[in-house]
Amino acid sequence: MKTKEQPRYTYQIEPIELEERPKRFLDAFAAVLRHSNYAPVLDAYLRIRAKCSMCTVDCQVYQASGDPQDIPCLRSELLLSVYRRYFTLSGMLKAPLFDDFRLTDEYIDRMAEAYYRCTACKRCKYSCPLGIDHALITHLARWILAEIEIVPKALKVSVREQLEGDTRNTSAIPFVGLKDTCEFLEEELEEVYPGAGIKFPIDVEDAEYVFFPAVSDYLLEADTLMGNAAMLHAIGASWTIGSRNFDGIDYGLFYSDRMWERIIHDQVAEIHRLNGKKMLIGECGHASRAGKEGMANFIPKEDKVPVVNIMELAYEKFTSGELNLIENAISERTTYHDPCNISRKGWIIEQPRAILRHICKEFVEMHPHGTENYCCGGGGGTVSVDEIRKFRTSIGGATKAGQIKATGAKIVVTPCANCKKQIDEVIADHKLDVERKGLHDLMLQAIIMPNGQRPKPKPEGEEF
Amino acid sequence: MAEWLEWARGPAFRLAIALMILGLLRLAILNAVNIMNVLAHARDRNIPWKTVLADTAGWFFPYKKVRPQIVFTIASFLFHVSVIVTPIFLAAHIRLWERGVGISWAAIPQTAADYLTLIAIASAAVLFTKRASARATRALSRPQDYLLPLLIMVPFVSGYLAMHPGINPFQYNSTMFVHVMSGNVLLALIPFTKLSHVVLFPTTQLVSEMAWHLAPGAGREVAVTLGKENEPI
Repeated sequence: MKTKEQPRYTYQIEPIELEERPKRFLDAFAAVLRHSNYAPVLDAYLRIRAKCSMCTVDCQVYQASGDPQDIPCLRSELLLSVYRRYFTLSGMLKAPLFDDFRLTDEYIDRMAEAYYRCTACKRCKYSCPLGIDHALITHLARWILAEIEIVPKALKVSVREQLEGDTRNTSAIPFVGLKDTCEFLEEELEEVYPGAGIKFPIDVEDAEYVFFPAVSDYLLEADTLMGNAAMLHAIGASWTIGSRNFDGIDYGLFYSDRMWERIIHDQVAEIHRLNGKKMLIGECGHASRAGKEGMANFIPKEDKVPVVNIMELAYEKFTSGELNLIENAISERTTYHDPCNISRKGWIIEQPRAILRHICKEFVEMHPHGTENYCCGGGGGTVSVDEIRKFRTSIGGATKAGQIKATGAKIVVTPCANCKKQIDEVIADHKLDVERKGLHDLMLQAIIMPNGQRPKPKPEGEEF
Repeated sequence: MAEWLEWARGPAFRLAIALMILGLLRLAILNAVNIMNVLAHARDRNIPWKTVLADTAGWFFPYKKVRPQIVFTIASFLFHVSVIVTPIFLAAHIRLWERGVGISWAAIPQTAADYLTLIAIASAAVLFTKRASARATRALSRPQDYLLPLLIMVPFVSGYLAMHPGINPFQYNSTMFVHVMSGNVLLALIPFTKLSHVVLFPTTQLVSEMAWHLAPGAGREVAVTLGKENEPI
């Protein structure tokens, strides 16, 4: 592979071949259009886009940056222009007459920058009178860019390890490491619920739920996982972790349908190896959506299994009375951040709130929230790119920082691995006086076991 | 001038309306074929019709969407209502249809038509000013985005003047010529500009929903086409 001087992106990519990039981009675009379902959608968008500017007030990136390249409609135009020029009849007719548009190296660099400034939060889709889904254009553009190797290194390396590495997960946790972690968490749980014998079952066949959290939880979010296990124990669920595939993360959703499909196939294969019945996703927004939409889009009917987010399960058992939670167990003022991937279309909004209103003395909302929430600023996989942290927290996360501050809450709950990392960084960089938690982190202090056992309060000031 | 007006009302109008109808028919057919194509290649064919219809209806009556840009959204709504209702339900236009092809329908009172015309002119002016006066909209706009609101004002201004000879400084026939010809131009432009949303609007939410109904196996086929199927990631 030839490498010349690296183009300057604000994020890190792996060394790439710089020969004939425009040609290779068009080849990749042509291949994608030929085999995928995107061409009809681009046709429709080309015909109807009215450039009305409604999206400008809804994009938190543009609101903070004021840079026209962040206007959703203008960002989508980057890719639509290429499509019109090279793949439509009118584009080809106009080209020799009066259209000087040409795909250049510099233009590809602009797309690479613009489509990774977007967090694919989909908020602008709902402000577009013509329903143009700019997040879809971002999604498609990133796939084409990825086919010419323009993709943030963090995403690519993770997917490489998940699909082709030895550990088969994005955090490269070897199975022995997972086992050790689970045993350690079981010991910790023994201190919270002495004698309850809460387990992290591994490779149990015929279980109802095969558990796929964001694998980074095993490294970073012990309280979330302990809360997950305690909740599953309390409702008497039959569940298991698969030893060969225990990672719910699917970065394919962020940059390549090709990878998305391969990852969901691997996950479903593990469920069937264990003869599991359902795919249980942990606290993770994109994993839930990648699982649910990936299952619907890519998995043949006979292999499909239902995809359940763990909060849906907790809520169902909480409302049916099978899961008992201590009322007002959390005394600090608490607020909730909706992860875009599970809230934008109205899938999971009320479920965590019902639980939080019960276990928190004072629960307050951000404004706006629910389907109209603002992205944390790290959506669309950008949170994995450490090189752009400053951009993410100062531009992408500026709105969220303001929202959190305005609630006056001491705890901000968010059930998503990406949002958790981003909000931690937003809190640090904006010096906010608030603690970030997962939903199950708080539930761990509130679950009442069927025999009436309550959690032992943590010694003051101790953090797991 | 009288012959010119006759030509504008006769052959030119027939050409414009034929272009519009055929052009829109073409778009509607292409759009329907596209939608069926996506469904044919998708594995997930469950369309959440309720959500799609609710989203579409939500933009037909966008009272919930007013808040962020109040002046703009209200002007835009008034603009659409007046531009659609006035030409279709104007008594003088209906009489022309009746005379030409023998069909007619209920008209709106002349006073209402007058007010709607003024609203159309004023709201088009607001939309144009808004577009020209903000950095974001200037960055977004193509030539047609500036020209169309101005062009749409022409038949409304000339029509208003023709109906109110007292304030019309121009000759009746030349006013009418401008009125009819600008209308003709607009009708002919509908299928070829963003005005095509007059037929595509009802399916835009459906298109965006279907966009996520992906073709299974597309990724692998793309890799094969690009000769990358055996390449490590």
